[in-house]
Amino acid sequence: MKYLGKKIITLIMTLFLVSAAAFLAFQIIPGDVVASILGTEATPEREEALREELGFNDPPLVRYGKWAAGVLRGDLGVSYRYSKNMNEMMPVAELIGDKLPVTLWLAALSLALIILVSIPLGVLWAKSRSHALDAVLGVITQATMAVPSFFLGILVTWLFGILLKWFAPGGYVGYRENFWGFLSYLLFPAISIALPKIAMTARFLRNSMLTEMGADYVRTAYSKGCSRKRVMYGHVLRNAMMPVITFLGMIVAEIVAGSIVVEQVFGLPGIGRLLISSISTRDFPVVEILILYITFVVIFVYFLVDILYKVVDPRIS
Amino acid sequence: MIKIEDLSVAFGGTEVVKHVSLELREGEILGIVGESGSGKSVTALTLMGLVSEAAQVTTGRILFDDVVLREAGKPCDLRIYRKYRGAEMSQVFQEPQTSLNPVQKAGKQVEEVLRLHTKLTGEEIRTKVLETFQAVGLHDAERVYASYPHQLSGGMRQRVMIAMAVILHPRLIVADEPTTALDVTIQNQIVELLRKINKEQKNAMLFITHDLHLARRLCHRVAVMKDGCVVETGTAEEVFDHPSQDYTKRLVEAVPSRVKGKSGIRGRSGELSAAEADSGTSESPEGRKAGNGISEVPEERKAGSRISEVSEERKTGGEISEVSEERRAGGGTSKVPGERSAGSSGAAPVLSVRNLSVYYQDGKSTLSQEQAEGQGRKKISLGSRLFQKRGQCVVWNADFEIYSGESLGLVGESGCGKTSLSKAILGMNRHIEGEIVHNSVRPQMVFQDPYSSLNPAKTIGWLLQEPLRAAGALDKSLAMTRADRETAARDMLRRVGMDERYFDRRPSELSGGQRQRVSIAQALITNPGFIIADEPVSALDVTIQAQIMELFLKLQEEMHLACLFISHDINVVYRMCDRIMVMKEGHIIETGETEEVFAHPKEDYTKLLLWGS
Repeated sequence: MKYLGKKIITLIMTLFLVSAAAFLAFQIIPGDVVASILGTEATPEREEALREELGFNDPPLVRYGKWAAGVLRGDLGVSYRYSKNMNEMMPVAELIGDKLPVTLWLAALSLALIILVSIPLGVLWAKSRSHALDAVLGVITQATMAVPSFFLGILVTWLFGILLKWFAPGGYVGYRENFWGFLSYLLFPAISIALPKIAMTARFLRNSMLTEMGADYVRTAYSKGCSRKRVMYGHVLRNAMMPVITFLGMIVAEIVAGSIVVEQVFGLPGIGRLLISSISTRDFPVVEILILYITFVVIFVYFLVDILYKVVDPRIS
Repeated sequence: MIKIEDLSVAFGGTEVVKHVSLELREGEILGIVGESGSGKSVTALTLMGLVSEAAQVTTGRILFDDVVLREAGKPCDLRIYRKYRGAEMSQVFQEPQTSLNPVQKAGKQVEEVLRLHTKLTGEEIRTKVLETFQAVGLHDAERVYASYPHQLSGGMRQRVMIAMAVILHPRLIVADEPTTALDVTIQNQIVELLRKINKEQKNAMLFITHDLHLARRLCHRVAVMKDGCVVETGTAEEVFDHPSQDYTKRLVEAVPSRVKGKSGIRGRSGELSAAEADSGTSESPEGRKAGNGISEVPEERKAGSRISEVSEERKTGGEISEVSEERRAGGGTSKVPGERSAGSSGAAPVLSVRNLSVYYQDGKSTLSQEQAEGQGRKKISLGSRLFQKRGQCVVWNADFEIYSGESLGLVGESGCGKTSLSKAILGMNRHIEGEIVHNSVRPQMVFQDPYSSLNPAKTIGWLLQEPLRAAGALDKSLAMTRADRETAARDMLRRVGMDERYFDRRPSELSGGQRQRVSIAQALITNPGFIIADEPVSALDVTIQAQIMELFLKLQEEMHLACLFISHDINVVYRMCDRIMVMKEGHIIETGETEEVFAHPKEDYTKLLLWGS
């Protein structure tokens, strides 16, 4: 309970600091929001009016206060750039609400792939006593780890999209229209995200297992008459998972926050793409909320990792 | 029943076990004794088929009831072994801490043996495990069953290991140093348990140990191993009482034992300075100490009244905070009340500890030194109660002195507060009440594990100079030039019996004994006058142990060194120390002259410690 309280206080403090820092950054970076909204041909009067309307004439501290108060009330503000219709600005909440499911589903799919493939692969690898398999896996994982994900994305698009025609490159169905179609469009981007991570995780797990296999309790297990397989799955795996869990946590935080490159390459309307475009158009309210979201996700995932650690290792209290 | 015939095991071309032949009969306990690296563990692991895959059996074979378990030139056949391991043969390992799977409950780990080798149902398995737990002395069986290894004490963990090994009544039990990692009193219980199991189940036992006392107590027959060869076999009495081989003789000789008396080194040092001993203190029963060339000390100590007077004055003088102030400044001799420094330079204790209680803080509430001091002046009972809320008291009201040139042995089991006390004395733990007065400059420490306590990235020369550099940095008047430091380091290296060519080597290139020599040199290079040695020989082999102890005594004499010697090994303490202090659960329960304590221990616990082993 005390632990939870401590975590929550840390979370609040971090969110506050990060939002303030992002706000400050927006004061410093060059570029005029009003000019970018109205274009170059607007009259100075029109610009002044918009400036007044958006509250740009207030001192920065007041503006931050107003914004923060809004967020605390649940009002995330409106986008400077997108509009709902002719008269209404687009609320940030709605804008993000539209894109978030894409990123979250993409992340979930990637994570499932990573876990389902890398753990058996890692165990198999650690178990293998054939030098050939060891060498082959070594080369493959090394290569996969080294290739940047955008290039992998292009490769996947070319192979499955253009050559095999399993999916239409650049195509996309909204998740509200056709959920399964939506998922199938996410599959290949998910593979692009997952492949390098699978390689890393499998390699990491294998190393961790090899280290653990030298431990005394493994010898004890053999002395009881356990088979190699039983030793690996029954004794070594759980102990070897500890460092891997931390690693997986880092991956989850990374992909839930949006895979900017992969979303860009596959043309997916997710958080990552929104972040890029909002920064380039100085759409401050959107960027602020996205930064808060990412911060929250990272902290929350690490919190989950902490909990998971305690579940896996009874020594941690 | 078990036959090891002409067995040789090699790792990458180097033979570590050479033509070993051993035979083990039903119901017999065979001890294998030898120092580390003698191949005793590899022999046992090969027998169990647990030796690493890098090891090759180059000659000979292993037979279990005429079934060939392992043969030269063939890889380990896991299918045969899997049938035998756990059911017919089992092993108890040295480290119960690491030999149990940390993430599985104890019960489940023992159950696994039954699941692998029997067809019992879940309920039967559980009952059997609980019964076995009872039988190995785990009376709180249900709780142990549901506990993770880290929730059990060292002794309990070893009992769990033993339960695992004996649950199917295997005909062979290999026990590889099963008590080495345990406290003396627990050690005895475990040895007795193994003996009982051997009697009841009539299984053969291969008992591997470096502890000759233990081998003698437990084993019917003993094989002595050295450099991979069996040098001598015979009944325990034959081997230890009438060793036929030189190596066995040396091994038996090297073991510190109160049975042999303190003849060796003490005797020699007595001769060396016999002339000094004549100069007035020959009537003292403590000629031994006089022999060390500090003839005033024993007299002074007998005239105890004077010393206590001094400390009495100091106490009333309200000097406490001043003294500790000095200690914090890292200084030493300092502004101690005038008369004492004038009066008796040799007679005053090098260290006196008065009413010292040490607290273990879990980082939550840190008391300032002032607060601690303030409470130190209150009535103790009140003080401790106040403290109990904030931290756990690990040492209660310690009260003792150490005199120049003297070794005070501190014995007790792990967790009794030995290390906490020594840390408090060195100022590494400030959560104390009471007072500590040093009269030495910069007390130093020699640590237990020479493998991990030397920085592996630095050369020996650099390491030796470090205390000098540190001293120079704290006190400009002690600063030395680089050349002076190097000379001092080389000189020190020679004094600990090491060649100068080691100056530029790194710790990894040295053996354990050499490393411990370096540690000692490091502690002595500032000529501290007082050192704390925390289990300095526990990690070493017996013959090396003997050398290091001899070195210690020699240097102590040369440098007039006072020493607080912490050890769990009663025999080592007996050899090394003039006085002994027994500690139990944070209390010093008995203090006295070594011979006196050994001859007439007052406390039951002391008797247990002394005669248990």
